[in-house]
Amino acid sequence: MAVSSRLVSVVSAKALVGAVCAGLAAGSAMAQEKFPSRPIQVIATFGAGGGADLMARQMSRLAEPILGVALPVSNVAGASGTAGLTRLLTNSPDGYTVATLIALSVSAWASNISTQKPDDFTIVAMTQDSPSMLFVPTNSPHKDIKAFLEHAKANPGKLKVATSGYGTQDDITLIYLEKLGYKTTNVPFARPAERYAAPIGGHVDAIYEEPGDVAQFVKAGQMRALVTFNDERHFAFRDVPSSKELGMQISDLPNFRTLAVPAATPADRVKVLAAAFDKVLDSPEWKKYCEDTYTCTQKLTPEQAKARVKAFYETVQSYQKRFPDMKKGTN
Amino acid sequence: MDLVSLLTQGIAGTFAPYNFAVMVIGLIVGVVAGALPGISFVNAMAMALPFTYLMPPVAAMTFLGGIYVGGVFGGSISAILINIPGTPASLPSCWDGYPMSRRGESGRALAIAITASAVGGLMSALLLTFGAPPFARIALTFDQPEFFAATILGIVSVVAIAKEDAWRSFLSLFMGLAVATVGIDPLYGVARFSFGVPALESGVNFVVVMIGLFAIGEVLDLICQRQDQSALGRRRDGGRRAGLADLWSVKGSIARGTGIGCMIGVIPGAGATVGAVIAYGVEKQASGQGDRFGTGVDAGLAAPESAKNATTGAAMIPLLTLGIPGSAATAIMLAALLIHGINPGPLLFATDPRLVYTVFVSMIVANLLMIVAGVAVARGFAQLMRIPPAVLGAFIVVLSVIGAFGVRNNIFDIHVCLAFGVAGLVMKRFDFPSAPLVLGVILGPLAERYFLTSLANHDDRVSVFVTRPISATILAMALAFLAWAMWPRMTRLWRRAPA
Repeated sequence: MAVSSRLVSVVSAKALVGAVCAGLAAGSAMAQEKFPSRPIQVIATFGAGGGADLMARQMSRLAEPILGVALPVSNVAGASGTAGLTRLLTNSPDGYTVATLIALSVSAWASNISTQKPDDFTIVAMTQDSPSMLFVPTNSPHKDIKAFLEHAKANPGKLKVATSGYGTQDDITLIYLEKLGYKTTNVPFARPAERYAAPIGGHVDAIYEEPGDVAQFVKAGQMRALVTFNDERHFAFRDVPSSKELGMQISDLPNFRTLAVPAATPADRVKVLAAAFDKVLDSPEWKKYCEDTYTCTQKLTPEQAKARVKAFYETVQSYQKRFPDMKKGTN
Repeated sequence: MDLVSLLTQGIAGTFAPYNFAVMVIGLIVGVVAGALPGISFVNAMAMALPFTYLMPPVAAMTFLGGIYVGGVFGGSISAILINIPGTPASLPSCWDGYPMSRRGESGRALAIAITASAVGGLMSALLLTFGAPPFARIALTFDQPEFFAATILGIVSVVAIAKEDAWRSFLSLFMGLAVATVGIDPLYGVARFSFGVPALESGVNFVVVMIGLFAIGEVLDLICQRQDQSALGRRRDGGRRAGLADLWSVKGSIARGTGIGCMIGVIPGAGATVGAVIAYGVEKQASGQGDRFGTGVDAGLAAPESAKNATTGAAMIPLLTLGIPGSAATAIMLAALLIHGINPGPLLFATDPRLVYTVFVSMIVANLLMIVAGVAVARGFAQLMRIPPAVLGAFIVVLSVIGAFGVRNNIFDIHVCLAFGVAGLVMKRFDFPSAPLVLGVILGPLAERYFLTSLANHDDRVSVFVTRPISATILAMALAFLAWAMWPRMTRLWRRAPA
């Protein structure tokens, strides 16, 4: 694999030299160069083993035969994913660098952690989407969400909820519950591993997480779900009420993952990438993967996806205006 | 299914030709990568990850397990031979391993290191095989305050192990803790000491600091002085071999190191480096020859060697039993499994016991084979040591730059690494210890994160650290450690003070 990809890159380097020479002569040969003709770097904006990393690796693995070039994944983690996105933006916008862009990074922009904004990027694929849920350890005294909320109301701040950090969708949701009179304490665990261990070990009362990430703990009987923060019930948790049934208006903070390129990338190359990733999303391998992780989503065109990201950005901003005392935070 | 038939399946899986072959390849790759200054085993595992896509899941795990086991040991080869730790976990192995090499006893030092590592790793793999579920339950009772206390014990060990000048070690440690605060804080998202430079917001990585201070610093030192004066120029190989009696005499040190390594291994985040440092500190106190530590004492090499490899099996307990990876290395293993659609965790024991027990058995076998791979690679490295220091230095610089970049695929890290290289040279010239600085950069962020999350989870009560029994016990140990290390200095100060 490595040998063949190196071969590809040697061959394509020659092709590129040829293209540059031709470009000097003809002026606009760039536009006619076959794309892609060399490996496309995929930046996973979080560490190995996380949701964004796995998405990048699955997408790149399945897109390689379609695009005909290698798609090596490298992890550039840090600052809620914005470090990797900065790398994407500083590389030349020629379509040969793609990065994961996820909801968490967008809410980090809204918290002014970075100067990035939706218009800096073109989304080439909306790959995954999932509402988040509240889970408790199986032996929790709270039978259902009503019991949990009643306890929170009677004992403000006594219930501890493990989250990914302050200023995130997790935090906004807990503050929303607090405004309704259900005050809990946000306990941020930056590392997913520690976050999952906390409720299982009985160190916190609940955890805010997307179902795909903790499904195995639910299947193993270590956690159970209380509520889905969405308009509808979750297809895999039919007996768990949705937040809308409870009269809550907090369905607009799902956790989505996308693949993005810089906004300045030529439209024809965006088209090639979008078409290839589109094929991947239709493949049975990908379908199985997204079903296993409860993250299957409707396919969107780059324009629709961009609108989606923008809307999410504005939603988070408006929540921040509503909750001015929210800690800034990151993870 | 009973244990015997599960183990039989595991043995069959381990010795299936393909699984076994990739494990051996992994071991060799791990030892070599670990031994190369700059390339750590975590780097090697990350680079190897795409290859595992093509393997069946069982083979992917034996392959990565091989790199892990081999890599954690491999770092000690360069630590002992040229005073440059190949991975952060081998830092304590420099302190007594390199002085032995300087005496011309590198062969003996390597034999002790390999034996101690293999015994530690083997015990840890046996614990993984026979005690994983109960041990995982114990690990789950540990919460953030306990992790914080263990990190404090690590920080105090750094001072306790100071060779001569505890105050300089203190200062160096605190410089490291200060460097570690650079970047966005883990809870509140506030950028600290980033001076508006976006690259600094991601913080300073400890592997980059270590490569800079030790590898680049050592090469700069070589450039700046007569060849025979620096560690790279002052190499002698061969010397007295280790007899069985030598190895038997450090059995107590190996046992203590193994115990500490197994305990630290299950704590998420801490890992091999913290285990090795605490083991060195404890050994200095427990061995009864503490005042000679740092001059090339067998016990001072054996304890951290056994501890760091004893973290390998233990770190896989939370991964396999709970699906929770505690370290960068086990996170990569998790990625390899998830790519194949396998979720590690309690269900895995029921759905795919063959995979679980093959991993168990292969970890045991990998630790035994590590002796062979370790000896072979160490021999090769000893040959490499004959090439002129200038050439060796050039190689080390290249590997360091690649290694520094490879940590996060970040160009800025190379600049940081080179800057710390200059700092390393200066510190060396002023006889200022640099190891405490690296350990400060490693332990600082852990302590901060555990501290803040502990407070968030316990109503901002600082007393939580002393009201929880396990955390209080560990902190009391840390206090005793500190008192023990500082006692001679304190009494000297009092005597000097006017009555």
